[in-house]
Amino acid sequence: MAVAQAAGPIEAPAASAWWRGRAGAAVVVALAILIAFFGWKNQLPWPAWLTWNSLAHDLDNFQAWLSNNRNVPHPSIVFRAFNGVANFLDNLVGWLTSFFFKLTWAGTTALGTLVVLRFGGRRAAAIVLAVFVSFAALGLWDPVVRTFALTFASVGLSLAIGLPFGIWAGRSDRFQRVVTPVLDAMQIIPAFAYLMPIVILFSVGPGAAVATTLIYAIPPSIRITALGIRGVPTNTVEAAQALGATRMQTLLKVQLPLARRMLLLSVNQTILFALSMVVIAGLIGGQGLGAVVTSGLYSDPALALVAGAAIVIMAIGLDRATEAMANRTDPTRRHLTAGKRRTLHLYTAACAAGVGLAVGLGHALGAGSVWSRWTIQGWLLRYVQNALNYVQNPHTVVFHITDPIGNFVVQYGLNPLQSFFVETPWPAMTFGLALIAYFISGLRPAVVTLAMLALIGGVTNEWTNAMETLSQVLVATGLTLVVGIPLGVWAAESLRARQVMRPVLDVLQTLPQLVYIIPFIYLMPVSIVPGVLASVLYAAPVVIRLVEAGIRDVSPHPVEAAGAFGATRLQVLVKVKIPMARDAIMLGVNQGIIMVLAVVVIAGLVGSGALGYDVAQGLQQSLFGQGVLASLAILALGIALDRVTQGRRRKHIELA
Amino acid sequence: MGSSEQTPLAHVIDRSGEPLIRAEGVWKIFGRRADRIVGTPDADLPRAELRAKHDCVAAVRNVSFEVWPREVFVVMGLSGSGKSTLVRTLIRLIEPTAGKIQIAGQDVTAASPQELRGMRRHTSSMVFQHFGLLAHRRVVDNVAFGLEIQGVPKAERLARAEEVLRLVGLEDSGNQFPDQLSGGMQQRVGLARAFAVDPKVMLYDEPFSALDPLIRRDMQDEVIRLQHETGKTMVFITHDLPEALRLGDRIAIMRDGAIVQLGTPEELVGSPADEYVANFVRDIPRSHVLTLRWIMRGARPGEEDGPKLDVRTTVRNAIPAIVGSERPCCAVEAGKIVGVVDHEAVLAAIAGEND
Repeated sequence: MAVAQAAGPIEAPAASAWWRGRAGAAVVVALAILIAFFGWKNQLPWPAWLTWNSLAHDLDNFQAWLSNNRNVPHPSIVFRAFNGVANFLDNLVGWLTSFFFKLTWAGTTALGTLVVLRFGGRRAAAIVLAVFVSFAALGLWDPVVRTFALTFASVGLSLAIGLPFGIWAGRSDRFQRVVTPVLDAMQIIPAFAYLMPIVILFSVGPGAAVATTLIYAIPPSIRITALGIRGVPTNTVEAAQALGATRMQTLLKVQLPLARRMLLLSVNQTILFALSMVVIAGLIGGQGLGAVVTSGLYSDPALALVAGAAIVIMAIGLDRATEAMANRTDPTRRHLTAGKRRTLHLYTAACAAGVGLAVGLGHALGAGSVWSRWTIQGWLLRYVQNALNYVQNPHTVVFHITDPIGNFVVQYGLNPLQSFFVETPWPAMTFGLALIAYFISGLRPAVVTLAMLALIGGVTNEWTNAMETLSQVLVATGLTLVVGIPLGVWAAESLRARQVMRPVLDVLQTLPQLVYIIPFIYLMPVSIVPGVLASVLYAAPVVIRLVEAGIRDVSPHPVEAAGAFGATRLQVLVKVKIPMARDAIMLGVNQGIIMVLAVVVIAGLVGSGALGYDVAQGLQQSLFGQGVLASLAILALGIALDRVTQGRRRKHIELA
Repeated sequence: MGSSEQTPLAHVIDRSGEPLIRAEGVWKIFGRRADRIVGTPDADLPRAELRAKHDCVAAVRNVSFEVWPREVFVVMGLSGSGKSTLVRTLIRLIEPTAGKIQIAGQDVTAASPQELRGMRRHTSSMVFQHFGLLAHRRVVDNVAFGLEIQGVPKAERLARAEEVLRLVGLEDSGNQFPDQLSGGMQQRVGLARAFAVDPKVMLYDEPFSALDPLIRRDMQDEVIRLQHETGKTMVFITHDLPEALRLGDRIAIMRDGAIVQLGTPEELVGSPADEYVANFVRDIPRSHVLTLRWIMRGARPGEEDGPKLDVRTTVRNAIPAIVGSERPCCAVEAGKIVGVVDHEAVLAAIAGEND
């Protein structure tokens, strides 16, 4: 009796998983939208009476007014401040560029290699040396230096802003609470969406490129810095406080030294984020490798691919170098005695002398500012071009594989979905999506989603384009999940799979977004498909990683318990691991969809049309108003997609 | 005599003057708007109800106590009983929600940030459960850290650090780094760091919980020895009852943020205030804790010529003398007979039948 009574109340909540009912409701809503589509196809496009038609024109006028007023001989104080910032950024990049040129190739190589040798160890130094040699061999030293300058300026400024704010966020819960949603927002905005506003404010040039990169690179630097400061053991900070340390003493003597490795890793991440923006920055006046890629996109694809490879090489070199330096100089791990310290001082002096010598030699031997002898560029370009020609030749095997695949995706994936989204009556679509957001994520996300969809239709006048982009995003996300989740599960279950995948994923994650697209333009010469496939390739590594981490983080105890009850490996996976990793998998879906959106809109440059095309037009043909509105629509779409898929995980984390 | 070994902290505590630490009605409630709860009837709600009604957690509820110079005051409780929060409120590492705290005549709760820092630098120091050592500094620099915070010149603070390291038996490890030492040795560094600033009050927050039982015992001996040599006043937090009984002059037992009983080890073992405390002390052999003072009765005429024992002798240590004597033993305090102990009293104490 007692047992039955006790079991009664426990049974009720466990009877059905909470999401089963909600997921079911979401599916019902989706079916209702489908019925609306078949019943009233093409009869209710976004109505004109709900649209702010003159906005694009007004924005054009505003832009004209802005450029007229800032370029007069004596602009007002506001414009002077803005011009000052823009000029400062331009000059910073220019100054760094000429600095590296003055060092010459030999001097820069010696500087990079010896600094890494001194602080990061031999292995990392060897990688850095190889990276510099490859730059010379590729015949890309000139754009490499410009990219270096751009990256260093962006990273320097990102850290100048990110480290203090990160330290503040690490020390103050209140500030952390304030800054987190701002950083979240900064990170879900596709880079393509803030190009237009920045071009309007800073006009095209290195300054605009730096500003764009800053928006992208500051959030990780703040986050990781705060994480590092928070990672310092509470006891240690309390011990300093208990001994009467001031806040400054605690920071300088305890928190910063103990967090130093994380701070250097935040430098590492900031560099990688900055580098991945290099190509996009090339669209708005950032010189260097990014410009080579973006201009080569139309004129010299082989060169664009080689320049893209150079960016990846640079990313790998900087990544390994900074990671090695972060680990090797961690004061909590290496135990420096007075004797060792003296030796290291001598070492430093020797390295400095070596750099000086290399600079002198570089000038003496006439290596000058540009290194252009003995390159393999011509040879390499021929091969790449041959490969591109081969895959485009309609008589080759490759073509017979790629062409049908491309057509299949368009015919059975993109086209039907596109017509579904574009032609469904607008009320069914807006309220349906909001309802789905409500069932998957809750009331607030649903309200935000509705507001964002209204913004897209009513304010930006981009409803059709946005729905077209949405259909591409959904196809790409579907493909990403089909690829990513099984691979993630496999990587979590098998060490061998993990070992094989890791280097591939590393390289894929360092590739700048646009570089993904280039090969697909040639492999899949069907307008929309390259963008979709490139975005799959861009988002899949993150989904794989999140799923893998989620499954591997499942507490070993229930897994062990299931094993003890005689569960097979598959049962353990399906009944224990995957359900327990649900939040991580949902996070993978969320991140994947945001990343897919970022690439799909960039593909507007190469024929994906829709929102990305309007932004590209805005940039390339100075259709500012339209560009800004399309940017706004991308932003709104990004926020809506994030809200719909965020699930209830944030609440879980709060309660935990 | 043997008794100083068995009751090692039986030192003289002078309770005539001012207490060194005085805590009055200290509250700590975590949550937004916590300050509005103290003083209302809601403050006495059980934990779950308070959480449901105000989304607050009362970690410390209306705690008052005094600690006298040279006393070892132990706060004991299970995890979540608020003991670690309590010790942190004493020097405002955690701000108390309400109440008044005085240390060495200074009002801690009213102190300005500067005054508070001065107090933390010179009056108190603290030893932590997970040591809280600076991994990037040598042991000797860790020990000198408190002095460095105070701005003591380098040569002077290093000399003092060496001296304290000798005191805790680590004179050879000064140039090593914390991660090169065992857990017990790391906590000795923590002890040395706290001693180096020569505080009036030492606060210990479960300092030995993370250590193995054998090392824990060593470290308890170390604390007892240091207490004898330096005569510091200590507030010692622990969840380990034998440790509390071993070290404490007086012990406060906490439950759900409140003190349920405050008394000497004998009082806790001899007359637990409620079932909770009784459950705690059930497995403690009474004869190891109770002294003659606890079981003696008034001397009847003619009984004053039995063997004489110090009144602070534990029952266990008195057994050979009492059993070996035909006559009841006399308990002596400061040369005077204050009571007698006979066979029945000893047997009753061992059997737990008195009260």
